[in-house]
Amino acid sequence: MPKVTFINPDESRVELDVPVGQSLMRAATAAGIDGIVGDCGGGLTCATCHVLVQEEFLPDTPPVTPNEDQMLDFTAMGRHPTSRLSCQLVMTEALDGLVVRIADPQL
Amino acid sequence: MSQIAEARLPPPPILDMDPFSDDTIRDPSAFHQALRETAPVVYIEKYGMYAVGRYDEVRTVMSDFARFTSEGGIGLSDIRKPGAWRSPSPITEVDPPRHTAVRGALTKILSPIVIRKWREHFSAEAERLAEEVAGRGDIEAVKDLAEAFVLKVFPDVLGVDMPRDNFIAIGDMNFNQIGPNNDNLKRSLERVEPILDQYQKGFQREGMIAGGFGEKIFQAEDAGDFAPGTAGVQVRSFLRAGVDTTIAGIGHTLNLLARHPDQWAKCVADPLKVRGAFEEGIRLHSPSQVMFRTTTGEQTLSGYRLAPDVKIGNFMGAANRDPRKFDDPDRFDIDRDAAGIHLALGTGAHICIGQMIARLEAECILGALARRVARIDPAGEPEYRLVNTLRTLDRLPLRLVRK
Repeated sequence: MPKVTFINPDESRVELDVPVGQSLMRAATAAGIDGIVGDCGGGLTCATCHVLVQEEFLPDTPPVTPNEDQMLDFTAMGRHPTSRLSCQLVMTEALDGLVVRIADPQL
Repeated sequence: MSQIAEARLPPPPILDMDPFSDDTIRDPSAFHQALRETAPVVYIEKYGMYAVGRYDEVRTVMSDFARFTSEGGIGLSDIRKPGAWRSPSPITEVDPPRHTAVRGALTKILSPIVIRKWREHFSAEAERLAEEVAGRGDIEAVKDLAEAFVLKVFPDVLGVDMPRDNFIAIGDMNFNQIGPNNDNLKRSLERVEPILDQYQKGFQREGMIAGGFGEKIFQAEDAGDFAPGTAGVQVRSFLRAGVDTTIAGIGHTLNLLARHPDQWAKCVADPLKVRGAFEEGIRLHSPSQVMFRTTTGEQTLSGYRLAPDVKIGNFMGAANRDPRKFDDPDRFDIDRDAAGIHLALGTGAHICIGQMIARLEAECILGALARRVARIDPAGEPEYRLVNTLRTLDRLPLRLVRK
């Protein structure tokens, strides 16, 4: 199963096995990673599952939809060039080894 | 699939049931079951419409706008054709890419950062109301709780001032209009007739109260974010979408909690669990039962051939109990974690833009109750209101037992 590493705001790291087809937001909330809130469950309306994607993985991530693009402007931490909402990062084999930094704050 | 093979695909089977009969509106479970189990897509002759009720098909039809457009309107009548009994909305009834700019402008006004700032106000009102009803004990929860709360806080943040009864009458009219032009619609049109003028004024510029997001929608129109003359209709879209559905969702959740004391006990122990309860409330009794799209040309769907330019009803209420998607789908389980999975708030580009407002309202009022009320007992049978496409309670007698 592909692996993803989450870097917490305190720099600690959590590595998770994420099944292909599952979003990083679901994987993180199911694993109790507190830094990912995901209040709306992936509906692109809360912007509380914000992550920064390690640059070399960006080409393998799915394209940003207009709704995600709009919501990224309203993340609590503010938008960075590598910002994504992790509910939209659905796991693929190509993303095995992905590293994301959890944005802080989310709320 | 080759064109020849596609041409051989059968049309969807006919389902000889009326989704908008009084019996189905009161209890849609038999219709939902038949809709899901007859075929992935069916044809309902009486209304000349297709219908889907399985999770996967509802998801597809609601989000694939190239094949299933919103531009014919989200109701049964085609707003582009003569004789339509609804007027179009500039947000819900346009497809991307035109929709994208409008949605972006509204997202700016209703961003999650803005909505979170309302928590203090919502919470203060919720604590005050919960204190009052908990002291009273015997209540009619639709009027005394769900309507009392939503009709206070939502108009406050929207910045409109309208008599409370008007909201309910107008809401009934809107959700009747999404369905067929039948007696339910006729009756509700008669009821709103005397207040229609007042209602129309209510969402015009001069009706906006300073500081509300309604006023910001007008300011955004001035700044060129919306087409000239459409701000009032945008405000109306929020009234249409945000009031009755939230009242309905809070009502269903209270009804379920009263009938599942084990689930309420979990909320009393941890009031944050009311969030999960609300998600289950709107999954099991989806306030907005059905939204329509129109086929853009001849389409294939799950092995059936659909004719062009025909309405297709997405029965979210049926999809949310599809056993293909949800384990033990009729069970009320507040730990199910179904937010973002159930389709009560839609899916795709048009997913409910105000959903975090609804969640905040529900969390505040249900949480305030969980901090005060040890037990909620049913105090009579709930009654459902006859509205074509809105599943909502008319009466919910409850007895609140204070901690």
